[in-house]
Amino acid sequence: MDITILDTSATQGTSWLHRCAPAAKLAAFALMVVAIASSVNVLVVASIAACLLAVATSCRLPAGPLLALSAYPGVFAALFAFAAGVDALGAALIVGRAVTAALAAVVLMLTTPYPQVFAPIQRLVPPVVGDAILMTYRSLFLLVDKFASTMTAVRLRSGLNRRAPLRSASAVSRTLGGVLLYSVDLSQRTHDIMYLRGYDGRLVVSARSSDSIVRDVALVTAAAVVMGGAWLWRTRWAELNPYAWLPLASALIAVLLTLATTLLRKAAR
Amino acid sequence: MSDLSHLHIPDGVLPLWLIGAGWLVAIVMLAVADRRVRGTEMARRVPLVGAVSALMLVGMSTEVVPIAYHINLTVIGGILLGPWLSMVAAFVTVIILALAGHGGVTVAGLNATVIATEMVAGWALFSALTAVLGTSRPRISAGVATVLALALSTTMLVGIVALGGAPATHRESGAFDPATLSFSNPFSEGVVTNTLVAAEAHDEEDAEPVGGIAVRRFAITVYTLGAAGWLLEALITAAIVGFVARVRPGLIFEGALAQPARAPIGDEGLH
Repeated sequence: MDITILDTSATQGTSWLHRCAPAAKLAAFALMVVAIASSVNVLVVASIAACLLAVATSCRLPAGPLLALSAYPGVFAALFAFAAGVDALGAALIVGRAVTAALAAVVLMLTTPYPQVFAPIQRLVPPVVGDAILMTYRSLFLLVDKFASTMTAVRLRSGLNRRAPLRSASAVSRTLGGVLLYSVDLSQRTHDIMYLRGYDGRLVVSARSSDSIVRDVALVTAAAVVMGGAWLWRTRWAELNPYAWLPLASALIAVLLTLATTLLRKAAR
Repeated sequence: MSDLSHLHIPDGVLPLWLIGAGWLVAIVMLAVADRRVRGTEMARRVPLVGAVSALMLVGMSTEVVPIAYHINLTVIGGILLGPWLSMVAAFVTVIILALAGHGGVTVAGLNATVIATEMVAGWALFSALTAVLGTSRPRISAGVATVLALALSTTMLVGIVALGGAPATHRESGAFDPATLSFSNPFSEGVVTNTLVAAEAHDEEDAEPVGGIAVRRFAITVYTLGAAGWLLEALITAAIVGFVARVRPGLIFEGALAQPARAPIGDEGLH
């Protein structure tokens, strides 16, 4: 889980989706998740994934991290499907839903700075929970850095060796112990900073304004259309299932068109 | 793969009522935890929860040995935070994982409940074992507490999947069936009068189970893979707890919040 890539893309990107209001993106994300979770036809799920890929292509999101992060839960979903003993189509549906939901989440996180993603959640939950979410994400960067640098030191001293898993596990355990102590000290330092800055029981994240209301409305409407389509397919599946290839073909054409447009624009520069 | 006990229930597998129940339990859990921790020392509790949650996330994203295994550190988190803050940390961890694409979004309530159970059980068992065995054997207490806590959370997972209900059928679920595919023009009779085809192409009697869960097979797989994970997690947790117990015993035996707060640097004169 390389959160640095997520953060860099979210804060430095300038695409149309980056410029949308975070609230609109969260609403669209929620609609997409409902669409994915309620779909029982694997081709419909694949169509939603293709739509998300078209969006990611149009925003020029980093393809490697996007696909790697999205595919990761697919491994565990496959394990879940195997354990559940479902047939091939059932397994494809389980994996497809997991990967597509992850794709939606990663597109959101690649285009929205984390305080803006967590701010609406922070307003809904008790202060200790809302503030802890923001604080966790902040601490995560520091701990990942600390852990990586310590592991590099361990590796340089030949502490990690795939042929000696017990010794490696022992080295990782000691490193994690050191990171644990560091994390407790880090929380004390953060407490100092919060105290001196006059923390009164609530961290305040100012909402980012939108560049274009029309774009925000269009984004939410598009997501609502996808969700509506998914629901229609779920309720009228007997009539629609024979044509399940149709939305997938349309979505794939959209991906190809977006890709071609992006490449042409790149070549024109 | 000790975290087989949670996080990897994908979206859309469980029925809506179970997902709703999971969120309800998580909300009640958070409300109770908030009530218990509200008020004093918020400025100290919030960064501590943040740091421990981040630590668990680091553990969950760290491969320990080359078998794609990663650990949870939930029991250590429970030992450091105690029961109420553990519930908060579990929810925070699950939300961040879900938004990073790890674990289902709709099932975050259920996942938070399972992780919170793991943390609270780990804390309770470690405290009880320390009371029985004394503070001289923290490794054994931590190892046993970890195995039992993970066994409990894995059993919860199997219970959740079993509660998910009977297998659906093609007819009931509307799952994709290649046999019904039609590449003819669906609008050949006009958009409005389009009747589409194949609604009666397959009999209900022909429907085969799809998308349902074979609970017995699921339980066997999860317990088999999980047991190895519990042992590995227990060994690592025991090693970490042993290490910390040597250098900062108060953190392990009293919890992080029981440690005396020092005055902020540069502000000593006020205290």
